[in-house]
Amino acid sequence: MPINEIAGCIGCNTCVETCPTDVIQMDKEHKKAYIAYPEDCQICHLCRLYCPVDAISITPEKSIPVVVSWR
Amino acid sequence: MSDKIDISRRAFIGVAGTAIGATAIAANLPSIGAPPQPNKPNIDSNSFTEEALKTDVLVIGSGIAGLFAAVKAHDAGAKVIMVSKGRLGSSGLTPFGKGVFSYDKNNPKMQPEEYLAKVADSAIGTNNPVFTRQLLEHSADRVAELKEWGFFDSPLCNLSFSKPMNERNIPLVERVMMTHLHKENGRVVGASGFSLNENKIINFSAKTIILCTGSGGFKPSGFPMCDLTHDGTIMAYNIGAKITGKEWNDGHPASAKNAGSSYDNWHGQVEEKPSTTTEDIHHDLGVDLNYQAYIKGGPVSMGPPGRNEEKTNSTNKIAGPYTPEAFHKGNSGPPQQPPQESGWRSLFSGGKRPEGPPNMQGESVGGSTAGMAIHKSEGLVPIDETGLSNIPGLWAAGDALGSYMSGGIYTQVGSSMAGSSVQGAIAGEAAAKASKTVDRIVIPKNKLAQTKADILAPLKRETGYSPAWVTQILQSVMIPNFVLYIKKERMMDAALAYVEELKEHHAPMLMASDRHHLRLAHETMNMLITAEMKLKASMMRTESRCSHYRLDFPDIDYKNWQAWINIHKDQNGEMIFEKQPFDKWPAYS
Repeated sequence: MPINEIAGCIGCNTCVETCPTDVIQMDKEHKKAYIAYPEDCQICHLCRLYCPVDAISITPEKSIPVVVSWR
Repeated sequence: MSDKIDISRRAFIGVAGTAIGATAIAANLPSIGAPPQPNKPNIDSNSFTEEALKTDVLVIGSGIAGLFAAVKAHDAGAKVIMVSKGRLGSSGLTPFGKGVFSYDKNNPKMQPEEYLAKVADSAIGTNNPVFTRQLLEHSADRVAELKEWGFFDSPLCNLSFSKPMNERNIPLVERVMMTHLHKENGRVVGASGFSLNENKIINFSAKTIILCTGSGGFKPSGFPMCDLTHDGTIMAYNIGAKITGKEWNDGHPASAKNAGSSYDNWHGQVEEKPSTTTEDIHHDLGVDLNYQAYIKGGPVSMGPPGRNEEKTNSTNKIAGPYTPEAFHKGNSGPPQQPPQESGWRSLFSGGKRPEGPPNMQGESVGGSTAGMAIHKSEGLVPIDETGLSNIPGLWAAGDALGSYMSGGIYTQVGSSMAGSSVQGAIAGEAAAKASKTVDRIVIPKNKLAQTKADILAPLKRETGYSPAWVTQILQSVMIPNFVLYIKKERMMDAALAYVEELKEHHAPMLMASDRHHLRLAHETMNMLITAEMKLKASMMRTESRCSHYRLDFPDIDYKNWQAWINIHKDQNGEMIFEKQPFDKWPAYS
């Protein structure tokens, strides 16, 4: 998982707005952010840095295989 | 169906979209009538509303170029709206650019003429000195403004960028993906896009438009640019703008361990506060590492020896892409920046470095920026020093402008952020001034209706291909080092066959089940056109220079190639390529 947990969300919507690749959505009913499209996470950590209550945890592994030019 | 169940289903589709996953999913499909996949929209494409917004100057993009464009256009007396696919200061490459070049005109380390001569030497003539000089002229003033707004006090530039925007009450429309520019009577008159928050299309009427949409790539791994898909460039291309720079390559590697993590690849530098840089000219980050991997990676008997091999006195033993002698690593050269523990500075210093890329240590993999050219070398062709395009009323600034400020190679650390600031400010003032001289032209209703149909088409398809699958095929074709890094005619031709197939057959069948996938569908179409441009421009340039390396044409061709390549769409929809001599501006349309 890239972005793998949002725990203690206060529903401020900052991470939803901040994510450059639109990975996070707001569950309007429960007023909690959730990880909607983990496969599109570029693991840049902007959501975590902007989160006012430090609710987001991220691991460095991509959830889908990555194509590289050589290895 | 609850949101939670929905998530896991979508996540599964994302994983299953890979080549291995595709086999697994095929086994579970009914035996008849499987591909392409049926579309199962979970939003109603008929419920989209339309909103009309009116402004003098429309700034598209909310990175550092967009910030200065909006602020300076406002200060020049124009009504301004900024629209962004993401959020002010937290989309595109701006949040990750930590060095800003500042040239002290009163007390320079290097006189302007010496500086310009050295950049031209490193860039082997590919830079446009008008834009290089602008950097020297204005960078310190822009840095002073950034300082005043608090840019250097926090790693989170949304905070500092909000200050001048709020002080001026400049309206900001966030999370709207722009897909169309509108041209009437030969000039740009507006733009359209769709919201990621709600089922809404927004049509902007504007007198002038500044594209600050950055560059783009093929959503590669290890570099925080997966939201950049050349959107501005392709919108402009579609209304006849000239585009340049598609043969140049950014050659950043990633770490072999967790290659997809841009945060870890850059050693967490996103958390660092920005700082300034001073004169220090390089010839950096081209294709040399990719070449090394290519030559060492297998039994390669074909191909000429590298161009630097015969230079036995040189400390630079790297074969392959040519580096001007003055810029060989280890030669005296300019004084180095003091070594830092981490981050972008260590790219350019000889000091202690952490493990792994981008510091070229540890085990690397390539292609972390695949699809992106050198900063400032690709995008709309400027016809003057303000960044005006060949379409009246349409400007570009920053990475969306093919200004060739540095040429087809990286020359000055920190110049990208500084150059975007400088160009944004200049374009802002010019677009504001021009907006006062023209009358508003209303976008015809039938054009808006067609635009709406184009935008929503992927949602309305009953069957088709998922954007993720098409993107993964595109990545598999375009990212390997033997296609765009170590170029050969036959291989590029083969790749082009794939790209043309995807563009002609699959792009018209891209489908979307929600607004997120609608965005991916439009981004994928932009990437496909970019791939075609990159392959065709690379085939046309029958020489090697800077970050463009042809194994079949390894020499610099001073006789035929003192020229940039400009691309435009002609009246029949054909992609046309033309040479533009290094010392000439193109004509206004």
